[in-house]
Amino acid sequence: MRAIDWCRSSAGAALVLATSSDEQHPAENVADGSSETFWTTTGMFPQEFIIGFPKCVKISKVAIQCYLVRTLRIERSVSKDPVGFQQCIEKGKILNLNQQGFCGNNVLSFSATYLRFIIKSGFDHFVSVHRVMAEGTAENT
Amino acid sequence: SCQVCPKCCARDPTVGKSALAQMFRNDGAHFQKNYTLVSVQQAQTEFFIFDSAGKDLFSEMLEKLWEQPNVLCLVYDVTNEQSFNNCAKWLEKLRAQAVGVHIPGVLVGNKTDLIGRRVVEQKQAQEWAEKHGLEYCEMSVKEMKNFEAPFHILAKSFHQLYKEKVETFHSLA
Repeated sequence: MRAIDWCRSSAGAALVLATSSDEQHPAENVADGSSETFWTTTGMFPQEFIIGFPKCVKISKVAIQCYLVRTLRIERSVSKDPVGFQQCIEKGKILNLNQQGFCGNNVLSFSATYLRFIIKSGFDHFVSVHRVMAEGTAENT
Repeated sequence: SCQVCPKCCARDPTVGKSALAQMFRNDGAHFQKNYTLVSVQQAQTEFFIFDSAGKDLFSEMLEKLWEQPNVLCLVYDVTNEQSFNNCAKWLEKLRAQAVGVHIPGVLVGNKTDLIGRRVVEQKQAQEWAEKHGLEYCEMSVKEMKNFEAPFHILAKSFHQLYKEKVETFHSLA
């Protein structure tokens, strides 16, 4: 089965929660497949958003394109509803790893129906997230 | 858009800072809360206020309380020169806590109702504020005069910072 990016609205991904909601820069922008559009945080950390997939998928790679994020934690849930999250990735000093590109290209293998991106701290009052990506295949159920 | 800014309020004991924070956030409400909303250019700014005690006894707690501050409100008593002189110490403490990040701030002279007892002149305080990159205003919490001014100043500054940052994100994309 071919691996696709499940964090795309065109693949059926939906933003179920975001802690900041500037109408000009909504969280949906992280799933539109474009690096030009972005979600902004507008206040105190932590900040987070949750992406839901149309079904349980097997993820092999997670990436995020963002600016000024200092520490990030990614959690997953395999529940039908966005509950029961468990941590799967934690990164510090993301900005220093790769300022302009996708950060944290990890080879992974886990199942998820939801991914939760928690920005624990930033290098500034505000940070932006331009794209997130979770490559994988649909699980046979 | 809605910005939430943890706001550090530092002051010496008895300058009237808690009275300010309370009056502003409660806005006539019968319950205590430590957040409040201010509108700037159709944007709402929500303040999450940390009222920092001025007593040295609590100074060790400040570092924890002041993690990632967004804006600063520094209050002194215009009838108490020591409280004005101590502002430098408070400012230094905060800036040390947020190296490399610009923290908009306002210096507030309180107790302007005590005209005969005033010892710190407006000009002197204003100059000091300017020199340290702070806005300045005066008020009398007792007479409920101008007590919203510092919050409006800070909301405006923080909103301006947000707009500038969004421009930067656009140019990077």
